[in-house]
Order: sequence, then C-alpha cells, then structure tokens
Amino acid sequence: MKETVIEVNNLVKEYMITKKESGLRGSLKSLLFPKKTIVNGVDGISFSIGKGEIVGYIGPNGAGKSTTIKMLTGILHPTSGSIKVCGISPQADRKSVVRKLGVVFGQRTQLYWDLRLGESFELLRRIYQIDMTAYEETLAILRDVLKLDEFMDTPVRQLSLGQRMRGDLAAAMLHAPSVLFLDEPTIGLDADAKHAIRNFIKEINRTRGVTVILTTHDLDDVEQLCNRLVVVNHGKIVEDGPIDTIIHKLAPYRLLVVELKQPCEDLVHPAATIIKQDGLKIWYQFEKKRIFAAELISDLSQKLPIQDLSVKEPDIEDAIREVYKTTSAV
Amino acid sequence: MLQAYWYITKMRMLTNLAYRFEVFTSVGTNLIIMLASVFLWQTAYGGGIGNVQSLSLQDLTTYTILSIILSSMFVCDVQNTIYYKIREGQIVTDFYRPIPLLACYLADDIGGSLSSLANKALPLIVFASLFFGIPWPSFLLNFLLFIPSCLLSYGILWLLSALVGLIAFWVMELGNMGMVKDSIVRVLSGSIVPLWFFPESVQTVSKFLPFQYTYQTPLGIYIGNIGTKEALTALAVQAVWVILLFLLLAAGWKRTKKKTLIQGG
Repeated sequence: MKETVIEVNNLVKEYMITKKESGLRGSLKSLLFPKKTIVNGVDGISFSIGKGEIVGYIGPNGAGKSTTIKMLTGILHPTSGSIKVCGISPQADRKSVVRKLGVVFGQRTQLYWDLRLGESFELLRRIYQIDMTAYEETLAILRDVLKLDEFMDTPVRQLSLGQRMRGDLAAAMLHAPSVLFLDEPTIGLDADAKHAIRNFIKEINRTRGVTVILTTHDLDDVEQLCNRLVVVNHGKIVEDGPIDTIIHKLAPYRLLVVELKQPCEDLVHPAATIIKQDGLKIWYQFEKKRIFAAELISDLSQKLPIQDLSVKEPDIEDAIREVYKTTSAV
Repeated sequence: MLQAYWYITKMRMLTNLAYRFEVFTSVGTNLIIMLASVFLWQTAYGGGIGNVQSLSLQDLTTYTILSIILSSMFVCDVQNTIYYKIREGQIVTDFYRPIPLLACYLADDIGGSLSSLANKALPLIVFASLFFGIPWPSFLLNFLLFIPSCLLSYGILWLLSALVGLIAFWVMELGNMGMVKDSIVRVLSGSIVPLWFFPESVQTVSKFLPFQYTYQTPLGIYIGNIGTKEALTALAVQAVWVILLFLLLAAGWKRTKKKTLIQGG
C-alpha cells in the first residue's frame, strides 16, 4: 500500500447566500430583512490520494472544485468533515501545511509584480527560509526544465502569460513541496507553452515524486498527465478512478464511420444504430460489449459497397460530457 | 524571517527610487502646498495679530514645512494594499505563504517611507531652505526627542491605516472609508493648522483621540512649543496609543482571519 498524502473524509462546506430581490422595493426589503439560504458548495466528499499520484480533479464551473482546493490548502474551513494533508490538518496548522504545498493558480500570480523574476524567487527563498545550497540546486533544475534563463531579469509585469506561468510554477516548486496544487495551469496558453508545462509536471512527478492535484477544463491536460480522475458535480464526487475505466463506463459506445461507393437501400445492422447520415457517409454507433468492430465491419462489407471506413474511440471529452449531463438532472 | 522582511523593504526602496515621474509630481504638489500655507501664515501674522499662543511666525513656518515633509514620508499604503488585494482576489496567494501578511505589508510601507526620505523629503528640505531659510529645531535636545516621536507617529498612522484595511475584509467595498479617515487625520492631527488654534472644546476632545499625537506632537517638540518634560509625557502617550492600536489590530485581525477562513470572504 502506497503512502497516503491526502486524506479527505466526508467534507462538507455550506455557504450562506443572501438572496437579493429585484427592484427598488426588493432591494430595500433585502437590506432590512436579508433572506439567507444555505447552499452546499461541497457536499460530503471523501477520497484519499497516495504519494506520487497525478490526480485530475475536474467538474463543470461551480461544481465545488476550487472550494475543495481551498479547504485542502487550509485557507477555508470546512463546515464538517476532516482533512489530513501529510498527516496534518490544514485548519489546525495552516503554516506548517503550506510549507509542504505548492499552489499555482492559472488566473493569478504569486510573483511580485514590481520585482524581477529572480528577485521574486529570492524573496520566496527568504520567506520559506530555504537553505542556500538546496535553493541553488532546485533553481538550476527549474531554470533548465522551464527555460527561465531568458527572462530571469525581466520584471514580472512585463512577462508574457506563458513566461509568467512558467515563473509561477517555478515559484511554487522552490521550497520543494511534496504536494502541488494546480488550478487550471494551462488556461489561455499557446500549444507550445502548454507542452512545456505538461512536461514539467511529468518531470517533477517522476524525479521528485511530487503528488499533483490538477483542476482543469482542458481535457488534453487530463489525458496526458493524470493516471486518476476525480469528477465532481454539484459538490459531490460522481466518478473516481483510472481514466480508461471512466471512459469505458461512461462512454461505452464506439463509432464506425463508413463511406460507400454508391447509395444503398439496406443499411441497418441489428447490433448497431445509425446516428448520422450525410450523403455516402454513415455513422454507426455500437457497444463494445455487444459486437466487436471486426464483426461489424465484416457484416457490413458483405452487403454494402464500402469504399472507406474508420473506427472512433470515445474520448475523454465524451465521457465527461456524459457525466455532466447525467448528474445535472439530479 | 527577518531576512524576508528586510528584502521586501529593500526591494520597495529600489523600485520606488526607480520611479522618477512620481517623485516630480509629489515634490511639486507638496512644494505648492508648502508655499501656499506659509504665505497664508505670513498674511495672517502681517495683519497685526501678533504672536498667538506664544507661537511666532518663524515657529509656524517651521511647523508647516516639517509637517508637509513628514506627510510625504509617512507612507501608509496598507489600507489600499489590502483593499486592492481583496478586490482582485490576490489576497489568497498571500495566505499561502508561511509568513504573517500584515508584517509583510508593514515592511513594504517602511521601504516606501525610506525611499521617500531620500527622494521626496530631501528635495523638499532643500527647496524650503532656499525659500524660507533652514528650518532649525529650537534646541538640539528637541531634535533628539523629535526623532523617536516621529517613529511613534508613524506607528500610530500605520496602525490606523491597517485597521481601516481590515474593514475591507468585512464589507468588500471600502469606498471612501480610506479618504474619510485620511481627512479626519489631516484635520485632527494638526498637520494643516495646529490644534492650538482650535476652540478649547476641540482640543479637549482631541486629547483623548490618537490623531493629534501623529503630527502635532513631534512638530510641537521640534519647534519647542512642547517643553522637554511635556515632551517625555507626550512620547509616553504616543507609545500607549501604539500599544492600544496594536492590540486592537491584533484582535481585529484574528477575528477577520477566522471569518475569512470560515465564510470564504
């Protein structure tokens, strides 16, 4: 059994929301008698994450992802439930927990706006009281992997988004944290910068055994990085497991796209449904459990003049859309 | 830890020294205010009022010049720093650091004050000396008492600013709170017109407020209107205010932090 880094038990976070009524009368009324409703931002979440895992924590906007991250990092207190990060409760001892964490927000920077990148790092070194030799060692690796050298002396406010993001990742890694929280680290970045950042995440996970928790809307991130997926919606965990399993479970369908030489009458097949037809192109949807692709192809090729065909695997995006769809009805 | 604070102070100094335009405008406006106020006093005294409350024109000129120099040096941006950080959600990243954030803001403001000493206060002293002669202190001893009194003044002003900043955590929209506080401080601290010219009742009330101990006390000591013995008492009163406000801030900060952490701000 691997060492557990994060242990979350039955986490609940309630929010008080003041409902504002429209109109002048309404706003006066809510000023005098505010109508408060309790909303469950996070509603009974439990999971545990082992050392060295890269976990994708995904869900639609407002699903409670950020709230959970905030509670894990100790800047928000849960209404009930317990959290242990590296064996410590972040609520009881925020300062020692944050020393073990690196946090990066794609939309925000923790670098100092007025300082040069290198100066920001120096300040962080002093804040975290990092030993000089360890610092230089880490920094050398970071400079190399993230290619920081070209903008080490540039003031942070002049950095491009991609550069700033790389700077932020480096800043989060300086104190050699054992857990890294990444909140949409690739948001708004170009393909090249995304690639660099994904490589970096893989690299630190491999060489330093850093546990990574990643929230993102970019499913390419998830596909390329994560070995495990936790999907939340409406404050509850709806799926938790390896990516492949989730895809198979949620999107068991595959697609066979067939292009015919000439129009045909009898297109149907008992084990597959036609979901789309566009001229000579036909899309068959079939379930892996019911029929294998090879069988379907051989059946169809016997009666149809097939010119070209391709089989499409469901991707993560389909699976996730499926999750959001099914759980939003609840 | 101290290393980190010192680095913040140092970097703030260096960045501020690099902004030249801000220095020109600040020195420019302060110079205009200085000239206007001194001319006002000259006109008032020229009208044959004679010495009011044993203050000579020279005393008041010195008082005014130094008041403006001090105000350019007392950098208390903490209220705005907190306000902007909250509005932009940037405050979160500060919570992730294992270092008290108010102390960081203090280090930052001290850096601002030190750089202002070099690039704002010094030019103002030079200009003032050219126009009105060097504003000497009444005695050397007064000058020696003036320095610690200024430090305590800064403490009071900074703590007041930080307390206003805390309000931002509760109301989200600070609006003009900062400006209201600044105006109250400006009038009741005696930074424009010494409180000695105010009605008796205002002076009595002011004795129990922290404001007059921010400008009037050090300046009064400097021009010798507050005697040595009174000066020591005044220093003690200043120190008491620093302690009181500090305790208030510490208590307020504790509650604010708890509320932010529990309600998510």
